[in-house]
Amino acid sequence: MISYFSRFGIDQALLRRVLEAALSRGGERADVFVQHRVVSSLGLEDGEVNRAYASTQLGAGVRVVQGDQQGYAFTEELTLESLVRAARTAAAVADGPAREAPGSFRADPLPQRYPLRTRWEDVRVHDKLPLLSGVNAAALASDARIKKVTVGFADESGAVLIADSDGRIAEDSQPMARISLSCVAEHGGRRESNGWNLAGRTGFDWFSRERLDRLVERAVAKTLILFEAVPPPVGEMPVVLGAGSSGILLHEAIGHGMEADFNRKGTSIFSDQMGKPVARPFVSIVDDGTQEHARGAINVDDEGNAVERTVLVEAGTLASYLHDSISARHYRVKPTGSGRRESYMHAPLPRMRSTYMLPGPHRREEIIASVQKGIYCDSFSNGQVNIGPGDFTFYVTNGWLIEDGRLTRPVKDVNIIGNGPKVLSMIDMVADDLEIDEGGWTCGKNGQSVPVSQGMPTVRVQSITVGGRKG
Amino acid sequence: MLLETARSVMALAQRLGAQGVAASAGRARSVDVEWRDGKLEKITEATTHGVSVQLYVDGRYSAVSTSDLRPEALERFLADAVEMTRALAPDPHRRLPDPELYAGQADVDLQLEDAAYGDLSAQDRRLFAERIEAAARGHEAIVSVTSSVGDALYEGHRVHSNGFIGQRRATSFWAGASVSVKDADGRRPEEGDYAAARFFRELPSAEALGGRARERALSRLGSKKMASAVLPMVVEGRVAGGLLGRLLGPMHAGSLQQRRSFFEGRMGQPIGSALLDVADHPLLVRGLGSRLFDGEGIAARRLPLFEKGVLRNFFVDTYYGRKLGMPPTTGGASNLDWKPGERGLEELIADAGEGVLVTGFLGGNSNSTTGDFSLGVQGFRIASGKRAGPVAEMNVAGNHLELWKRLAAVGSDPYPYSALRTPTLVFDGVQFAGL
Repeated sequence: MISYFSRFGIDQALLRRVLEAALSRGGERADVFVQHRVVSSLGLEDGEVNRAYASTQLGAGVRVVQGDQQGYAFTEELTLESLVRAARTAAAVADGPAREAPGSFRADPLPQRYPLRTRWEDVRVHDKLPLLSGVNAAALASDARIKKVTVGFADESGAVLIADSDGRIAEDSQPMARISLSCVAEHGGRRESNGWNLAGRTGFDWFSRERLDRLVERAVAKTLILFEAVPPPVGEMPVVLGAGSSGILLHEAIGHGMEADFNRKGTSIFSDQMGKPVARPFVSIVDDGTQEHARGAINVDDEGNAVERTVLVEAGTLASYLHDSISARHYRVKPTGSGRRESYMHAPLPRMRSTYMLPGPHRREEIIASVQKGIYCDSFSNGQVNIGPGDFTFYVTNGWLIEDGRLTRPVKDVNIIGNGPKVLSMIDMVADDLEIDEGGWTCGKNGQSVPVSQGMPTVRVQSITVGGRKG
Repeated sequence: MLLETARSVMALAQRLGAQGVAASAGRARSVDVEWRDGKLEKITEATTHGVSVQLYVDGRYSAVSTSDLRPEALERFLADAVEMTRALAPDPHRRLPDPELYAGQADVDLQLEDAAYGDLSAQDRRLFAERIEAAARGHEAIVSVTSSVGDALYEGHRVHSNGFIGQRRATSFWAGASVSVKDADGRRPEEGDYAAARFFRELPSAEALGGRARERALSRLGSKKMASAVLPMVVEGRVAGGLLGRLLGPMHAGSLQQRRSFFEGRMGQPIGSALLDVADHPLLVRGLGSRLFDGEGIAARRLPLFEKGVLRNFFVDTYYGRKLGMPPTTGGASNLDWKPGERGLEELIADAGEGVLVTGFLGGNSNSTTGDFSLGVQGFRIASGKRAGPVAEMNVAGNHLELWKRLAAVGSDPYPYSALRTPTLVFDGVQFAGL
């Protein structure tokens, strides 16, 4: 039942003792989260792979829940004494007679969403080096204007274990790998930089020649086109979002606002909106933890709950929040498998996994042709949202002007700002070309970072504010 | 104890084949209490420990860290790290810092540790959080109030195989509240007030924190988007770090060496108006960013960054310094010391006449290679020298090489609860995007 963590001396008897201490002051529920995370990364700069970084995190967090209240403590010594001390600290959130710890544990079989042929801990550094050198050589060879190239590669192995006061136990290995390429180019006395990256819960063989060629091609093209860019326009206008990483709009405009912790506190703009129409009937949005090898995929969430594909917006109507155990009890629904945490140092929160919009009835060409004057957004670096008022932004690194229904001149470096519900209601065209992005997206909330994915078909937003500048 | 750990890790790495080693061992304890709507929301207690090691092996370099300090695990971890390093390409610029740079640490007591740290009980924290929350209440538009109170003690030792030994102990305390209010149209603006300090008694009172958080949240009710326009921009000191951080990033030697800095070739040239006058100030007593030595052991000293608008120094660490042929200064900012102006926020708003007061940034980014930036903002319209209605869902854009030349005023009010200590900043002619 415990396979990975037995090497650290974790067994059922020990977990029972820890949960016993956690419940010693009468908390309603308690869980233990044990984690071993080994990250290893390599960096190429000025033509050589000449730096390596490695980190190991080993620790365990104990949480005690009393209604909506939580006590949390963690330790980095996996001894009975340290774990029991952490459990007693977390127990202080409750104040009553002790409850009984589970007599035994049961493990439900987990799905296998990211099986690897070779585990990362068994891949030698020597075998990874050519990935970075190959990408560097290809980028430099592709165009004489490319002057500087950096390549980063990181892989992650290890496992998590979750055991709770209901007697559930789950153990999961959660691999991750990411490659990034950045280019600096010079042309006509000007300089521009850009990059691209790929990530997933994948193994060594995922980094195929074709995939790496695509990485190089995209990063180089996205850098060189910046020399042709004109200043982005200013003010409200129609905006077309290209298929793929435009899912960042969903992440910011609706995803965070649907995380149920904000709603149970009444602090989200989507509080009290369940079952109400928020978008046109051809708009459906899901948050899905089940996609094989996706960066945002998980076999089990960090509270031990089964992971599902959650429909946030069903044919234009608000359908479900994203729940952890606390919000699920609050709303008397099943958890959606959205309880996630950065590491054993943090209590779980409702979080997104892979957020995307389902394909719609329109075609990409038709959408672009429909815009007289606006912009088309192609790639993005970051986004942010104020959950309560619903205002959100996302930063466009590459885009195009749309003039008279055609993509005319490239634009760069422009932030777009809108209001979540307003923008959802203004999505008036959705194409049939859904693409899930393979980028290494990371989502931050309350100081915790977790890996996520996102996707989108080409869509049109009738009107949104473009933060450009006059040339 | 930590010094022993650092020393033994260094010795072990040397035995395993590293010729140069920098090892640090650290420990931290922190407690954080969150109080929401009349009851305890969450209490978190953290105890962390770990070592981090930089290895110089046969002219090659790696940096590793672990929290798994079981002796047999640590030995295997370091052995693997040394082996991994040997697989890399050699890098002639990677060496430990020149020991001369360790010398001359300032002989001052930075007062980074509050002796009263241990006196704060679980009950004290709860009561403080409860009082902040109570002070933030008192208006029908309020939907939810979350207050938080916390503190931490950090201690660490660092040793280098070429002679550096350094020690650090520091406490920090923080407190504040976030208030959600419900607007007539269903939007729920959230604002708050927070403070952080090295000494507990330097935090504002619960009443001040809670009261300010409430006023800031209520002031957001009825916010509107303005028409796009070029206007004066007054940036409140407590959020001006959002703008300044983007200016400091490209001042790092790594950015310059990789040709990703719009500052390249501009040393000694005017970047801003004469009012841009800032130094890095690591020796500020009780400062949140204060230190006697930096992350590489280099003795900390004051470093002018801009004088009367002229670029005077970069952040140069030993590695990129060697690559660029520049003497090291320090790897990154500590506290900033601004040459202050003579007027406070309200007077500067009055001076501006018309424009926008920015009280928050939302997302956006800045291109370190070209200096182009585009940032979401919220705040207040300034009309006839007064704070008028709240504005939201707006954006500002420009280029740093133009923006800072339009710095028209600097406040007398450095924000004390951040290491950047930014005062109110006023710029002329900024492009706002809205309707």
